[in-house]
Formats: sequence, C-alpha cells, structure tokens
Amino acid sequence: MSKPALLSLQQTLRKSFHSLENNQKIWTSVLSECSPLMESLGNLAEQLRALSNVQISNTPLRNFPDLEERLRFKLLQATDTVLGKLNDKMSALQSVRDAISNQVSAVFQQYEQNTDSLDLLAVTERSATNPSAADMLEWLQDAERYYRQQFLRRKTLLQTLRADDLSLLESTPKRWKSLESPGAEERITDTLFKVSFFMESQ
Amino acid sequence: MEGDITVTSSNRKCSAVSGSTRKIKDNAADWHNLLLRWERLSEESFPIAGNIVNLRLNSSQSRQQQQVDEPLSPLSAPSQPTGGAAELQDECCKLQDILNNMVVVVMRMERLMVSQRGVLDLEEFQFGPEGRKVPLFHSWTTKQFENSFRVLLDSFRQELQLKQTILQELAHTVTSDLSMVYLSCWLHQPFIPPQTRMMLEALLLETGHRPL
Repeated sequence: MSKPALLSLQQTLRKSFHSLENNQKIWTSVLSECSPLMESLGNLAEQLRALSNVQISNTPLRNFPDLEERLRFKLLQATDTVLGKLNDKMSALQSVRDAISNQVSAVFQQYEQNTDSLDLLAVTERSATNPSAADMLEWLQDAERYYRQQFLRRKTLLQTLRADDLSLLESTPKRWKSLESPGAEERITDTLFKVSFFMESQ
Repeated sequence: MEGDITVTSSNRKCSAVSGSTRKIKDNAADWHNLLLRWERLSEESFPIAGNIVNLRLNSSQSRQQQQVDEPLSPLSAPSQPTGGAAELQDECCKLQDILNNMVVVVMRMERLMVSQRGVLDLEEFQFGPEGRKVPLFHSWTTKQFENSFRVLLDSFRQELQLKQTILQELAHTVTSDLSMVYLSCWLHQPFIPPQTRMMLEALLLETGHRPL
C-alpha cells in the first residue's frame, strides 16, 4: 500500500470538492436568474395568444393601420430578446458543467493511473473526518452526472422552441420548472457536508 | 441611462458657423429630451393601465359570482364593495393625466417640426431648391434632418392616438383577451419603430452631441 499515492489522490479529491462547492453556487445563482426570464416568456406567450384570439377589425382598434402585424412584431422581438438572454444563461450553465466534468475526469484519471499502488484497502479506508476514497469518487461521479443531465435537458428544451409555435412557447415555463430536481440538489449539498471535515484537513 | 442634454460650451463648436446649425443642434437636443420624457411617462403609466384592467375584470367577475350566489343566500351582504368603482375612477384619472402630458410632448414635437421646416425654407431661399452644397455638420443634408424628425413625429402622433383610443376603452372592456391586447399595445407601442433609439443616436452623433 502506498501512502503517497493515496495522499496525492486525496489532494485532488479536495480540489474537486472545492470546485464542486463553488460551481454549485454558480449553478444555483444562474438558474435563479432564469426564473424572471421564464416569467417574461410566459407573459409574452400570453400576450401573443390574446392577440391571436382577438379579431382587431371587430374592436375600436380597427382604424389603426396594420396594428396587428406591428404589435405581433414587437411581441416577437421582445420574445427574441428574452430567448437571447436565456441563451446567455445557458452558456454560463455550460461552463459550470464543463468545469465539474473536467475536474471529475481529472481525479478519475489519477485514480486509474495509480490502481497498482491503490489497493482495495487503501481505497475503502476511512476515518472520522475522512470518508473513503471510493465513496468520494462515487459522490463526485453522481454530482457530475447530475449537472451533465440537467444541462442537456434544459438546453434541449430551449432548442426545441420555435417562434411560430405558440403552444410550445406557452408551456415552456412549466416544463422548465418541471426539470427541477430538489432531491438531487439536496444530495449534492449532503455530499459537501459529508466531506466538509475532509476538505479542511491536510 | 442618459440624462437631459444641455447645450454647453464644449458642444457649441459648430454653432459658431451659422444660426441654422445652432437651431438644428438645439432641436436635436430637444428631440432627445422629449423622447426621454415620453419614455418616463410611458413607464409611469403602465402599472396604472394594468390596475385598471385588473379592477375592471375583477369587478365583472365578482358581479357574475353575485348573480350566482344571490338566489341561494338572499340575506347575505353584497360581496362587491362600492370602493371598487371609486378606485377605478381614480386610476382612470391618473392615466388621463399622464396622457395629457404625452399630448404636450407631441405638441412640442410638432413645434420642433415647424422650426425645422423654417430652417429648410431659409436654406432653399438662400441656396435654391437643392439647398446648401456643404453639409452643416458631418454629412446630413438639412432635408435629411427634416425627414428624420418627420418620421419620429408621425410615429408619436400615431402612438398617441392609439393610447387615447385605448384609454377610452380600457375601463369598459370585460373580455380578458381584448384587455390584454390593449395592455400589450400600451406597453409595446406598436407604432414607435424599433429603430427609434438608433435614429436618435444617429441624430445626436451627427449634430455633435455625442462624440464620434
């Protein structure tokens, strides 16, 4: 059993959890910035729906030239702007996913390169303050999978939107909300609690 | 956000050349200030318009509810407080006030248009129908200034008319779809072209209010 290999792996694990902790905060904050944007989107969809339900020529607005087209244009333009901002948020989420994926694959790579010096005993050894390396690797892998899937689902949702499909637009805020996974989020927070002593120790 | 533009010595450079230059430059600054004023009034007015719609829709809903409830409980007090009508009246007055201010803005725009027309007429008198050979500022002819102002004026006139029509209807509309369309129009201002901001910036660049 090689102590240095284990210590070195633990260092990388520490680094990974610090990265996870920071990125979790960024992810949460970016996601919360998406909420008002989603609300705007729903709002605009409502306005577009109302416009398509109304026969302008039957209303007091009938004498205004091209009113319907002009209003629709403005509403679609506003929708475009919101979607643009959402796209920016997606880029930020992608950065988080990439950062976590890179960090986790680095730590796994290190583990795999050192399997001869890291036997089963070393990898499952744990103390009051240090969880086992095996557990920690598993938790990191779970977290990485969670962010990867979340990003994919959210990105796909936004990419399926089309300007001419109003019902798709109307259902987007609800579908976005349904992607929330509080259980998985809590598991990551739990993980960080479980490794908090480990992260502080040397 | 930009504040009001005042003519200071630093942007007075071009005005030494001729009175027309000074006039057009001042007009451009005035246009900018009027546009900002319109925007502020617009922002102020939107929540009030929203309130009017909500009050109207809520009161018509609870009136319908009353008609359903009444046969069953003839002894109960009416559920719709008379305060609702007073509040609605209040909000409509507020909105009318803002609209009156917008009327003043458009009137000032029209005055600027007249002044611009005057500059163009003077130029045609001095230089003939093609106007002066050398532009007063960087590249725009005096006619181009007039055209820009005209486009802006027409847009705002039309938008004002739309708002006046909507104001008359807003408190009487009971269908939520039509109310929503009125609110959309109020907020998104379909007759103000999307390039208005850009046009204004071009105007300010041309007249030297903004550095090139």
